[in-house]
Amino acid sequence: MDIERTVQIYRCEDTVDGILSAIYEAGISGYGHDYIRIEPIRMDSPANLSLFAEYIDVETEQEKAEKVIRAVYEKISARAYTYLMYAAAADAPDRGDALYQFLVHGFSMGDRVCDAFSILSVKRVFELKRAVGNESHYSREFMRFKEVSREPRLMLATFEPTHRVLPMVMEHFRDRFPGEWFIIYDKHHLEAGFHTAEDELEIRLLTTEEAERLEALSEKEEDYVALWKTFFHAIAIEERKNEKLQRNHMPLHYRTYVTEFIE
Amino acid sequence: MIFKENATLQEKLAILADGAKYDVACTSSGVSRKGRKGEIGNTSASGICHSFSADGRCISLLKILFTNECIYNCKYCVNRCSNDIPRATFTPEEVCTLTMEFYRRNYIEGLFLSSGIVESPDHTMELICQTLHALRTIYRFNGYIHCKAIPGTSPELVEEAGWYADRMSVNLEFPTAKGLRELAPNKTRETILTPMQQIQNGVRESRELLGMKGGNQSAYWYTQKRLGRALPGDTEKEKLLREKDKDRKKVINKGTSEEKSPERQKAAFTGVNGTALTRIKKRDISRGFVPSGQSTQMIIGATGESDYEIMAVTEALYQNFDLKRVFYSAFINVNQDSTLPAVDGQPPLRREHRLYQADFLLRYYGFRAADLLSESRPFFNTYLDPKCDWALGHLEQFPVEVTKADYQTLLKVPGIGTKSASRIVKARRTGMLDYQSLKAMGVVMKRAVYFITCHGKMMYSFLKIDEDYITRNLLENDRDVMKGFGEKVTYKQLSLFDDNGDMRAFS
Repeated sequence: MDIERTVQIYRCEDTVDGILSAIYEAGISGYGHDYIRIEPIRMDSPANLSLFAEYIDVETEQEKAEKVIRAVYEKISARAYTYLMYAAAADAPDRGDALYQFLVHGFSMGDRVCDAFSILSVKRVFELKRAVGNESHYSREFMRFKEVSREPRLMLATFEPTHRVLPMVMEHFRDRFPGEWFIIYDKHHLEAGFHTAEDELEIRLLTTEEAERLEALSEKEEDYVALWKTFFHAIAIEERKNEKLQRNHMPLHYRTYVTEFIE
Repeated sequence: MIFKENATLQEKLAILADGAKYDVACTSSGVSRKGRKGEIGNTSASGICHSFSADGRCISLLKILFTNECIYNCKYCVNRCSNDIPRATFTPEEVCTLTMEFYRRNYIEGLFLSSGIVESPDHTMELICQTLHALRTIYRFNGYIHCKAIPGTSPELVEEAGWYADRMSVNLEFPTAKGLRELAPNKTRETILTPMQQIQNGVRESRELLGMKGGNQSAYWYTQKRLGRALPGDTEKEKLLREKDKDRKKVINKGTSEEKSPERQKAAFTGVNGTALTRIKKRDISRGFVPSGQSTQMIIGATGESDYEIMAVTEALYQNFDLKRVFYSAFINVNQDSTLPAVDGQPPLRREHRLYQADFLLRYYGFRAADLLSESRPFFNTYLDPKCDWALGHLEQFPVEVTKADYQTLLKVPGIGTKSASRIVKARRTGMLDYQSLKAMGVVMKRAVYFITCHGKMMYSFLKIDEDYITRNLLENDRDVMKGFGEKVTYKQLSLFDDNGDMRAFS
């Protein structure tokens, strides 16, 4: 083994497409897999440059991302594809690294890679996939829409997910409300999904000005909020009161935008 | 009776949600149906909770009564006719509007409609059917609907409701017929089991003739199938019938390609005799008949049944009526009726919790009621979950070697569930197992450590397979949210500790 080899660090945008572009570049480089790292550039942590490494800056291109996705789907499996997309959406600086190693194993093992818990990168990808899956499920449960315009009816929901679950959540509500205008606003990543009554869907990053406009739309809606709160309180059984159990199922940090918990 | 004249929608909602809250099931699971153009809503097989009320119970559906007026006088029920409480009745439009507007805001997954009995069971069921009909056809609601079949209703109306609903339920109310006679004088076992059987037959016919329509079989059914046991509802005659119908279904499906046209499907079984579904030609069959199956519930702790009797009844319900779920409801004495046991403070929540755990062992793990309890030991240990309790009584079967044990053996290990067991089985085909990876697979180590070896070794060398040792450790690590609920006890009362409460005896 060539111990003298320099580690190559692929620096990329901290988005799903950014990570996938870096995986693509690293993959076609032909450089030894063990000497490749993928590092998303994050606002919150200043770059920690290493002296003994070669840095390669990767440009995000959708085409590269799609090539990776297609290869995984066709050459590994649909399950590995799900693992890839979920883990890539995670908010974890090591996800590029874990995914790269996961795919290297996947291209030789096939679908079985998803079961190989003894491989560290697989274990990590599984954990990330589970975290993202859980959050997108929580988001489907606890998302709350309000009517911000009546003619035509426009519904708006705001949430602050840790991971980039907006695409999965949009897909769910698109199927559910095919003929409705609605917007889901991810306040954490300053991203929003727009859906029209003609079932057109768009997800994009927002400018600060757009985000402000969405915030301004978040006026109070009275009638159904009051009815819902009435129901919410009437349905609880006093003799069974158990707030600890309630918190277990519905952690406090998920309640910020949940109608029945807003005074 | 106090009638709320001109009650506002909000007042009605408060009264009719309050009257419905003792019904347990709020599940929206069992059927996966895609959204449809021109309609609103879809359903997810796993079910989706939308909130949790102050008692920690899930809110998935808008659970309301159509009316809380009732001609019956069931002693345990808050809505009994002799109770002096405010009464209210919705209109079908009000129920539909509430459902639609709550659904649009993602407050709920659908509607759970129950009702007190007005005039007669048939009249009540007609009101329910009217409401559901409007919700499906006028309001174009494609989300989840759970509705009650009122005991004593004529079969036509039960069937009618089944073409709109995803799930139906008839409450068993009490585990024994005796309990029912005493506490619900207007209901009989027969009026409860008849609609239950009708729905069972209807669901089966619908599946055979129309396909699953996104619905799934019960967990109990899958488990019995995996273990090669007889399937719920099976008799020799039915098996034969099923075979025949399968052929017929093949014929129907042939030539109709993927997109089965409802007209052709309806035409295909002209002349089917003895069908439970008499209205199939006149109804919208696109969702199937009760595609998510049926459930029931019983009240625990009002009559004197043992846990063993309850589990035996539960098992019989799964086997003979192919139920999706049996729900248990810890008795709360809302009426202070003198014939009912006085419940001091807390309802028996801990007991209810153990019954639910045991119910999961029946449905997913392949345990039988007789494995868990017996005539001589008819109650669950309230301090330990039923699986740990079972394992402690069968220590000769442990430790289980995780690198070799089959799926069913793994399932018997406390701390290993269905997901982690199947992950273990798959993972060992790809590489070596170790304790670290078991953790990642979701094995709850604080329970499992006492019962497993990995490559012949226990996780810590000081662990011993000893009943008292394991019991003490399991209890110490117990962070059960139900702790402190139900019976007022201290560890001192545990029979395994000596009179002085001296726990050192076991160290």
